[in-house]
Amino acid sequence: MKQLGPYALAAAAALVIALGSFAAYRNRTFSEAEVARAEAAAEAAARGQKAGPAVIAAAVVLAPKKSARYPFLSHRDAIIGGRTVSLGGPGSPAIHKRLYDAANHCDDHGAFSELSGDSGRVIAAIPTDRGTAVAITQPPSPPEPLPWAILGGLLAIGAVVAYCGITVGGAARTIGLAVGASGLAAPAYIWSGAIPAAAILVIAVAVAALDARGSLRRAARALHEGRIAYAFLSPTLAAMVVIVCVPFVVGLGLGFFDHHRGEWTFVGLDNFAHILSGGGHSLADPLNFWFTVAVTLAWTAVNVILHVTLGVALALVLRKPWLKLRGTFRVLLILPWAIPSYITALIWHGMFQSEYGAINQILATFGLDRVAWFSSWTAAFTANVATNTWLGFPFMMVVALGALQSIPRDLYEAAATDGASAWQKFCHITLPSLRPALGPAVVLGAIWTFNMFNVIYLVSDGQPGGSTNILVTEAYRWAFERGERYGMAAAYATLIFIILAGGTLGIGWLRKRRAR
Amino acid sequence: MKRPGKLSVIAVHAGLAAAVAITLYPVAMVIKKSIEPGKNFALSASPIPHAVTLDHFRELLSTRASSGELLFLRNALNSAVVAVAATVIGLALATSAAYALSRFRFRGRDVSLGSFVVVQMFPATLLLMPLYVLLNRLGLLGSLFGLVLVYATTAIPFCVWTLKGYFDSLPVAIEDAARIDGASAWGVFYRIALPLARPGLAVTALFSFMTAWNEFILASVFMTDERAYTLPVLLNSAVGEHAADWGLFAAGALLTSVPVMALFYALQRHLVGGITAGGVKG
Amino acid sequence: MIRWVTLILLALTACADSGGNGRPTVILWHTYTGAEEIALENIVSAANRDQDRYRIEPVFVPYEAFADKITNAIPNGNGPDLFIFAHDRIGDWAESGFIEPIEFYVDDDLADHYAYAAISAMAYRGSLFGLPMAVKSVALFYRTDLCPVPPKTTGELFEWGHGFVASHPGAYALAYSNIDLYGHAPWLHGFGGRIFAKDGTLDVASPEGVRAAAFARRLRTEKLVPANATGDVIGTLFNAKKTALAISGPWFIAGINDTVPWRVATLPVVTETGLAAAPFLGVEGVLMSSRADHKGLAFSAMRALTSDASAAERARRARQIVPNNAAYENPDIAADPVLTAFRAQLSHTVAMPKTPAMRMVWTPYETALGRVIQSGDDPGAALSRAEDEIRGYVRRRSN
Repeated sequence: MKQLGPYALAAAAALVIALGSFAAYRNRTFSEAEVARAEAAAEAAARGQKAGPAVIAAAVVLAPKKSARYPFLSHRDAIIGGRTVSLGGPGSPAIHKRLYDAANHCDDHGAFSELSGDSGRVIAAIPTDRGTAVAITQPPSPPEPLPWAILGGLLAIGAVVAYCGITVGGAARTIGLAVGASGLAAPAYIWSGAIPAAAILVIAVAVAALDARGSLRRAARALHEGRIAYAFLSPTLAAMVVIVCVPFVVGLGLGFFDHHRGEWTFVGLDNFAHILSGGGHSLADPLNFWFTVAVTLAWTAVNVILHVTLGVALALVLRKPWLKLRGTFRVLLILPWAIPSYITALIWHGMFQSEYGAINQILATFGLDRVAWFSSWTAAFTANVATNTWLGFPFMMVVALGALQSIPRDLYEAAATDGASAWQKFCHITLPSLRPALGPAVVLGAIWTFNMFNVIYLVSDGQPGGSTNILVTEAYRWAFERGERYGMAAAYATLIFIILAGGTLGIGWLRKRRAR
Repeated sequence: MKRPGKLSVIAVHAGLAAAVAITLYPVAMVIKKSIEPGKNFALSASPIPHAVTLDHFRELLSTRASSGELLFLRNALNSAVVAVAATVIGLALATSAAYALSRFRFRGRDVSLGSFVVVQMFPATLLLMPLYVLLNRLGLLGSLFGLVLVYATTAIPFCVWTLKGYFDSLPVAIEDAARIDGASAWGVFYRIALPLARPGLAVTALFSFMTAWNEFILASVFMTDERAYTLPVLLNSAVGEHAADWGLFAAGALLTSVPVMALFYALQRHLVGGITAGGVKG
Repeated sequence: MIRWVTLILLALTACADSGGNGRPTVILWHTYTGAEEIALENIVSAANRDQDRYRIEPVFVPYEAFADKITNAIPNGNGPDLFIFAHDRIGDWAESGFIEPIEFYVDDDLADHYAYAAISAMAYRGSLFGLPMAVKSVALFYRTDLCPVPPKTTGELFEWGHGFVASHPGAYALAYSNIDLYGHAPWLHGFGGRIFAKDGTLDVASPEGVRAAAFARRLRTEKLVPANATGDVIGTLFNAKKTALAISGPWFIAGINDTVPWRVATLPVVTETGLAAAPFLGVEGVLMSSRADHKGLAFSAMRALTSDASAAERARRARQIVPNNAAYENPDIAADPVLTAFRAQLSHTVAMPKTPAMRMVWTPYETALGRVIQSGDDPGAALSRAEDEIRGYVRRRSN
């Protein structure tokens, strides 16, 4: 039985596809039948006939009577079962509201029928010369059950075929596997056409081919050999796939769609083309993608350089053995890391206020000119960088402190006896020992800074003229300030991802090449 | 190492004191606003308040839900439960994954390692909508457990990254010896590797806790009941459409930050050295 | 450990679910804080006491997260039954099918309860989508110790303002959010400008709009107003005697210190055109989600929230300018000088445009104002640029 492993793999995938195509088939036939029933009921109502079974309501809704005073108020009567009823007013039954809404919708958009996915309820409306005929139906019977007999039978036959092939061996093994696992393609074709059937066939053939090449066996062996590692890793991977990767892939996919009032239209690469071409703005225009890219890169570089320099400098000072109050200094300098970044950003925004902000007041007490912080690019950029530096240096400082701890002191003493200067010691001992720890921290810090939404959005908010926006804030604006263009936002996000991934790979490659 | 001259010792101390002053100034401004009367910031750049009142704290602590419950306590409890649970779950997952990535060579290792870095590159603001639909499908919308799951998993990449680096820096020899003595894979991990990794664990726990504790937008969109909100959401009730109550905001910001600051203080010894050498050996 | 945490979580969710005693719950989302929230809670508990068919449950949602939450929650079926929001999103939400038309429940007699302008702000494309709760606009606050009689025209504003600034070094004559479109709107309309022309097309770079932007720049270059003032800066300056006049709305009142002598007046007339400066009018209404469970009951709840009694409570306690005509027969409310001044301003307001395209106007327009007022760009060029940018965002394929 153990030899049937490859068959089980292919059959499981085929079963999922077959079940999916059956569900699609069932929904389609069911909704077609229900919509037809509702339309027939509406036509019957139009002719004044009695409604059939499982029809909740059928009526002819008369033309609206406009209010004299309020252009947006209008009232309608309806003929239900031969009697004229006034629709509306407080305390009116809920079903009357459905009739009323359906008649309004029909007047605006013409005849329609609408199936509600949750309940299977259908509303159909057709305009007639007497008024709008509306019928509401409820499905009379439960939907068709799953065809377990067909699915189980085909799977069993397939298993026998595959087993025979495997027993014979050689080419028969491959053919048996491919044929046995293809069985479900037939019902899938009947239910939902060629696409699911083809998918099942492709899977069957692919599994058979992989089996023939021995790839499956090798994969199984690798799985077996690494089983302890996989056991440790799999809970995390499962959680990551569900909560992180699914939204991530959806996010990437949305970049190929256009969103308009809740509807998604596939537009291929249009979003990307629009963004990469600069959207018709000149290169010097902050709305041009490449301008924003340049600002983002400058923002990331300046920040990371400042974080590292400050962090390492402070770490070096904090390591001096003769330093008093070292613990106090250290914990106070870590403090910014402990405060939520949106609070930090709001405080700094207030401090940069040109009129009464703390920073300008301090400048004024030193006799310096006040700076209109958000009126020029340089000033606004500086304000953002100052905020983010305050926020980000503690991380680098802590990493550097950790790395410095691991340097043995006798290295320095040996260097001192050799007469090395402080600068030489820094270049030849400190820096090389810092590099392995700081390298990854810099990559991580760069990623964080690249996507540091809170600081840009809350401190400069893109001022002046949107020129201090970075890629993430632009993406956000597409999603929330330019008419819910989620597709454009997702395309921006994808481009951010590509730039970061490319950058990281590039750095890794450079490092490897230098190491060689 | 030779001791530098008195003058440079004083200069270094003064320089550090200045750095600390710059670091503390914004914090001092928040403290000032939280105890100064009035909703708006005063015009002075001095961190000393012109008058002292506890009104903002009183108002914050006495906010009630429509059910009459004290909101601050309830939301603080939610924050604590969510942050602790997210930390525990996130850490359990991240530790085992980091251990596997550090100690074993297996197929797909490089891909998984890479993917933990890569997923951090997609801007989080844009995951809101897919995440909403996902939680809705899982029936976890509006439940604290849903928030726990999201926070735990979003913190995993950084935690794996840090912990893998930490495991890499630990010697393998003790583990090999234990294995030769017949310890199971789990025994080696649980009894030997974990206790040695304590500083790394402390730092990652701190990070997970902080991310969960401070997060605002997901909590305010996913939670549908005032009593299920977390502290940052309550804090944002001080900022309205047209006007903001900065006194209330400052008081809330302070009370929200205090637990994290306390944790930083308690764990500061581990902090240094806990995030050594992330992924040194690649 | 994990099991323990899960248990606590389950226990917590369990106690969150308890409560409610059989009658259907109508969930109401709102962004009210402070006095407005207290007033709302009072009218909700009165409504829950007075009948036994439904129970309203108010849920506060932070303003910053509100729109995100509505656009995610309603299509997924997790939204509220009712929510309170300003009318300018109605077009957008109606087009997306988020909100329910309610004219089915409303007849002329009911509509007559509300000021005509307020209830028509709740309508979109021939349907009614909400009942109005409060109308909001800015007006002119003045410190009576610094400016006993506020200027009636912009000409007077300049004349008096120059004198005031000269005699009060470091102070400004007027503080308003000059690079917010909401703050700039009074001048825009006072100069005869508009955002959309009558036929609905964008008309940002009109000569009137350009003149209004130039006027705003003149206020700044002649040092009558502070640069880049936002809501809280205006409050701070007003409290600290650094400005005599402030343009803001009813929400400004809560931030004024007790020691400040102040009053409210209508905004001045623009001397160049003879038109009154007309701020944007925002009408806050209670809207029904298209996914509301018990629409009939939800509508009864809307009625209760906007009844004359509830309006009187909101006017008294939170100083809301309520649109119920009957509320002003109450002597307390009729005598309130602040409410009277804001009501007087109402006749010189322009309702915030409801078309979905308005959402794309704000940022580009404010960028243009920043360029003109702060960086000294040419107003005509800056506004045409903004107009081009907005046109780029508005869809061709609108339906």
